Amino acid sequence: MAVTPTRTSHERRPTPARGTPATGLVIVAALVVLAAVLRPFLVELLVKPAVASWSTLFLAITIQAVPFLILGVTVSGAIAAFVPPGRIAALLPRRRLLAVPAAATAGAALPGCECGSVPIASRLVAAGVTPAAALAFLLSAPAINPIVLASTAVAFPGQPMMVLARFVASLAAAVAVGLVWTALGRDDLLATRRRWEPAPGPKVQMFLATARHDFLQAGGYLVVGAAAAATLQTLVPRSVVDAFADNIALSVLALGLLAVLLALCSEADAFVAAGLKQFPLTARLVFLVVGPMVDVKLIALQAGTFGPRFAAVFAPLTFVVAVACAVLTGWWLL
Amino acid sequence: MNEETGSATVLLVGVLLARLSITDIYARYVRVEMGPWLLVAGGLLAAAGLAGLLRSLLRPHETVLLSDHHEGHTERIGWLLLAPVVALLMVSPPALGSYSVDRSTIVIDDSGTTFDALPRGATVPMTLLEFDQRAADHAGASFGTTPVELTGFVAHTDDGTGFVIARFQIACCAADAVAAVARIVGVTGTAPGRDQWVTVVGTFDGITGGLPELRAADLRAIPAPVDPYE
Repeated sequence: MAVTPTRTSHERRPTPARGTPATGLVIVAALVVLAAVLRPFLVELLVKPAVASWSTLFLAITIQAVPFLILGVTVSGAIAAFVPPGRIAALLPRRRLLAVPAAATAGAALPGCECGSVPIASRLVAAGVTPAAALAFLLSAPAINPIVLASTAVAFPGQPMMVLARFVASLAAAVAVGLVWTALGRDDLLATRRRWEPAPGPKVQMFLATARHDFLQAGGYLVVGAAAAATLQTLVPRSVVDAFADNIALSVLALGLLAVLLALCSEADAFVAAGLKQFPLTARLVFLVVGPMVDVKLIALQAGTFGPRFAAVFAPLTFVVAVACAVLTGWWLL
Repeated sequence: MNEETGSATVLLVGVLLARLSITDIYARYVRVEMGPWLLVAGGLLAAAGLAGLLRSLLRPHETVLLSDHHEGHTERIGWLLLAPVVALLMVSPPALGSYSVDRSTIVIDDSGTTFDALPRGATVPMTLLEFDQRAADHAGASFGTTPVELTGFVAHTDDGTGFVIARFQIACCAADAVAAVARIVGVTGTAPGRDQWVTVVGTFDGITGGLPELRAADLRAIPAPVDPYE
């Protein structure tokens, strides 16, 4: 996943020497033609149920994430093009200890699921927001927005405490991770990477260029994550986790890990959690708190956006904090 | 990935998404309600891709000058977006079927709901999920003798006493699918094969081995419905 800057001719040569402006078009067109030629071979493969199921899951995860990704890159493009640098950082409290909870609470205003918040968090860091606050926003936005809470209420009829517990535990986990990140002081993990900036020009063009770039970047990693999630779902039957349903400690761990490998959209995970009736409520709360914060799709997105070294620290940290917050909240409220 | 390749990719993804949303095929992957959103998303992507493509094709010089001190290139990872595009262009993978029923948790849903008794007389069509929920409510007392009509695909073929039909519920996309199942008994003649879609009319016949049973009076093989999920 090492991403080396792909500098090409025109940057080394000051003259506008892009001799073949249509190269990209040719490559894309060639791929499409190749696809058509290889079609019979792939149709043959789809006869195998495991292959068919994998490709259905892969496409399903990718397709349902795209509208949310577009919402995310629209916001990230707008931040890059229309918001003067430093303006958002100035809106947040100066002190980090206050900026982190403020940013985490602001996450409630973004009606989307987890894929959209990664490019936004990245642009927030670029716009001068302290990383700990941007990360708190990244974690809280997909978990505590009104749409996700409403779908949780629908999935758990007659159990309003589940909605409250999800809100409290997710917000607490986002703030806690932000504060731990402040204490760790490892902003260097995400600072070293080259950050893409749009060329200065008309604002609309900057907006479009940023939105396109962020969409391609996040979309590419989304494809990696969707492939990983589809593979795990195909290889590991869900019934495997049933063995742990009777032991409270094991069930908490099992559903935490299930949330990581299923990589469900945060707007849908409550319905799956509602179906996991053999598990105690606290374990299902863990599933709902961990899912929007750490899963294979998100790890791929975060590694791509902030760097693999960042993800290697951030994902385990978030997992532990999220499980702890969910267990404590479940013990208190459920 | 340079500017025009990136724009072309965005345009292609947008066009494919919009096209997918106006065929019925998207219902195999996401909820039917997502259709208009996919169309909007595809339109926006196509517009953004087209704008970038036209700009870099019509005014390459300006682009170069403008991106003098800036990274004019998108990371290579964007190429991967072509994978689902190519997959969809070539083949449209089917909706989840019997293979996935065996690999997901089968939920006999005791929703805790108390159901009103079904009206007597006419046949009542219902989802497999509702059939399971009614079966779980006071051992299926709400069914009475009213015939119900169920639609699903064959998950387990005939074992001599009956076969199992299933249908997935999805909340968002196929990745969160959970199956509702029912056992069909009392079918005379050839039982349908695996993954064949059927509509069965019959009466509730108790719960055996954890599976609610329907004693079939009428069984018809049907083509797969446009929306394969409940």
